[in-house]
Amino acid sequence: MSTTTPGEITMPMPAPAPSSLMEKPAFSVPAKKMAMWLFIIADTATFAGCLVAYGFLRNATPNWPRPFHSITNLAVMTFILLTSSLTMLNGVRAARAGNKAGALRWTLITAALGIAFALLHIREWMALIDEGMTLLKNPWGTGLFGASFYSITGLHLTHVTGGVIALIVVGLRYKGGRYNADDLEVLGLYWHFVDLVWMFVVPFVYLLNLAH
Amino acid sequence: MHDTAHAHVGQHAAPTSFIRKHVFSLDHKVIGKQYYGLALAAVLIGMFLSWLMRLHLGWTNLAIPGLHLLTKNGAPGDVMTPEFYLQLMTMHATIMVFFVLTTAPFAAFGNYFLPIQVGAEDMPFPHFNMMSFWVTFVAFLVLMSSFFVSDGPTLGGWTQYAPLSAVGQVGGPGEGAGVVLWALSIAIFCVGQLLGSLNFITTTLDMRTRGMSLWRLPLSAWGWFITSVMGLTAFAVLMPACILLILDHVAGTSFFVPANTVINDQMQPHSGGSTLLWQHLFWFFGHPEVYIAIVPGMGIVSHVLITNMRKPMLSHRVLVYAMGALAVLSYMVYGHHMFVSGMNPVSSLVFSFPTLVITIPSTIVVLIWMGSLYGAKLRINSASLFALGFISMFIAGGVSGFFLAQPSIDIMLHATYFVVGHFHLVMGVAAMFGIFAGTYFWFPKMYGRMMNETLGKIHFWCSFVGAYAIFMPFHYLGLAGNVRRYQAFAPEYMQHLIPLHKFITIAALFTGAAQLIFVYNLFVSRYKGEPARDNPWQGTSLEWSTPTTPPPHNNFGDKLPVVYHDPFQYGVESSTGDYVMQTSPEKAGPDDEA
Amino acid sequence: MATEATKNGAMSKDLIVYVCLLVLAAIQFVIAYQSISPTQMFTRMIVVAVIEASLALLFFMHLADNRGLLWFVVIFNVFVLFAMQYSWTDSFRISNGVPWAK
Repeated sequence: MSTTTPGEITMPMPAPAPSSLMEKPAFSVPAKKMAMWLFIIADTATFAGCLVAYGFLRNATPNWPRPFHSITNLAVMTFILLTSSLTMLNGVRAARAGNKAGALRWTLITAALGIAFALLHIREWMALIDEGMTLLKNPWGTGLFGASFYSITGLHLTHVTGGVIALIVVGLRYKGGRYNADDLEVLGLYWHFVDLVWMFVVPFVYLLNLAH
Repeated sequence: MHDTAHAHVGQHAAPTSFIRKHVFSLDHKVIGKQYYGLALAAVLIGMFLSWLMRLHLGWTNLAIPGLHLLTKNGAPGDVMTPEFYLQLMTMHATIMVFFVLTTAPFAAFGNYFLPIQVGAEDMPFPHFNMMSFWVTFVAFLVLMSSFFVSDGPTLGGWTQYAPLSAVGQVGGPGEGAGVVLWALSIAIFCVGQLLGSLNFITTTLDMRTRGMSLWRLPLSAWGWFITSVMGLTAFAVLMPACILLILDHVAGTSFFVPANTVINDQMQPHSGGSTLLWQHLFWFFGHPEVYIAIVPGMGIVSHVLITNMRKPMLSHRVLVYAMGALAVLSYMVYGHHMFVSGMNPVSSLVFSFPTLVITIPSTIVVLIWMGSLYGAKLRINSASLFALGFISMFIAGGVSGFFLAQPSIDIMLHATYFVVGHFHLVMGVAAMFGIFAGTYFWFPKMYGRMMNETLGKIHFWCSFVGAYAIFMPFHYLGLAGNVRRYQAFAPEYMQHLIPLHKFITIAALFTGAAQLIFVYNLFVSRYKGEPARDNPWQGTSLEWSTPTTPPPHNNFGDKLPVVYHDPFQYGVESSTGDYVMQTSPEKAGPDDEA
Repeated sequence: MATEATKNGAMSKDLIVYVCLLVLAAIQFVIAYQSISPTQMFTRMIVVAVIEASLALLFFMHLADNRGLLWFVVIFNVFVLFAMQYSWTDSFRISNGVPWAK
């Protein structure tokens, strides 16, 4: 993210150009935030591609397995992820108010919630693997069920993991003064996006496959 | 904080070490040249592969001395096997589409000139920019490494259709590790393009210097901007598709392989997948990709033509809107690649309509070029000749698109040389001509030396005549029923086509050799060319107002330029002659906003 | 930016949106236990999910405060998402065997 990583550039930075020397950015959005929005648009296409592929195959497969019995774990995971969005908002708000300690605390709480989510997710995976559901086959029906389940949730879990690492790094560097409140806000956008994707993964990948 | 936040991103001090200057450089100009170098290496390899294929098509049992060095068992006695032919074809297409047509006009020229044309010191994320090149470079290495695996690179064509690409070794030679390396290479490539697109779009939206409103951007900048918007989501879909393909291939999942698939007399263990799903995902990327290759060329050619015509296009805005319409429509037409795939016949109609509609913006672009050229006193130089050549190729290749857009006609012409001729002219050669036009036009700014005009003109005429000599007969071959991807012509009705294939092969060898003139010109001019002035073509856009040539590390010295005009103030009375530069406060005419 | 302080200031607004999201998520779980056809269930799920996503986009990601960016993101995304839906008829053909069967 940073273009001024110490050690990589030895020369002193030139003074920032006053903004009057440049046109106003489109949508009044600074470059980093714009880049994050663009990444979110691209990532939406990535997730949508996966979900459409999953829907295509699920729709085309008669007797698609609907094996999930308990939604407790899922509900807890969803609650944790939604809550982590709230704590992220608190972190950005604290940063805006100049409260560095508060911003770092909320950011680390967000990261902790992300870790909790990931651990619950992995526990759920382990349980499913124990039940005999692998990438290739499962006891209930077509092998595509496991393949698409692990691919989509795996993609999401990758995003959560990356987000947790970014939260810790950016949070600490924000405290150290290398990043500012804007950077925290940009990272917040990513974290909310990961939350947003989960809102589609839950119904399509889990709830539609609930046993009745 | 917010007010200055966008101003200082992207700034970085000039590097001092060799590695920082030339290898892991953050400077968009160096990265642009690196992309150009990669594309040059790739195009030479790709062209060499096409030579081998053409030789084989002209003289089937010809022994090409040393051919066995390229492959483990693809050329016993230096004679090409059918499998090796298909491997060469696949690699030729993949190299050309991804590492030449996407890399050179978009990533190379765009990297070098987009920040300068918007008046920025650099792109907003120089580290991302550097990564985007090196990621692309790794992707290229991964692709090339498939020449060295046991049964060679993949032979599935650049579209890598399932199920053969998804079942592994049993699919035949070259369907093993080659496919995995191919898919891995493309997935890596997608990451590089994502990073590049992020930079291009934010550069255009956020880094414009004072006075540079969006409508004052030159057409080349518009071309890169529109292309990066397309690339943002197109590659984002290809990447998961490639990962699913790798999962099918390596882990044994069945996303793209249906049940009861028998390949080489073996029942496949897969079940439940759909081969059409791969085609849908692939072409969702694949069609925008065609426009990713051609739209930067349109921008470059417009820019070159305006400068050499000494007058603006008939309508700057309509041209921009037309390129934008191409970008939008490119997402709605992908199914015309799948008319004979067994796709829902109703979809064929649904896709045919926007495909025919997309000819409208294409035609508008061409008509604006032609109308603007009418009555213009065009300066004839290598750059403007290649720009004219671009238009010629784009029309010649585009016209056959009208036929192919209709499912009823496409059923007959699909997978014949007619299609091959169509896309080589409209996307391959046209985009190459765009690259050449850009090279002759911008070389003086990039290296501070002029290219040799005489060699340039010889290069143009050889390429122009040669390209038509190669690809026009393709249309005839296709109509005569010559199926593409055949490595020999055993059926009797094809026998009489062999002389034509021989002619095409000779034309291809000749045209390819003519490209060596260009390479020679490039290298000799780089070191021995006549020194270039700051503004050799009397252009108006910002790249011609840099304090030095090539531009200094931060492009404009210690002061960002201020823009007063549209980029096409030509044919006016002014103190500098017949043009007013964008940075000049001088009023260019009664309609000028300065 | 003048709006910055206000748009990040209202914790109560965030809490309201958060509670709404929790309720909507709960509704999804309830829908999952209804005895309805998969098509009906899918429709209800996607409606709720889109409402959830809109709330998150507008208030958590603050698109509500930037009309221009809102239109850019929504139009761009919705267009690309719609362009991806062409493949469905082929999915139905696999299960039904004919173009627009049943």
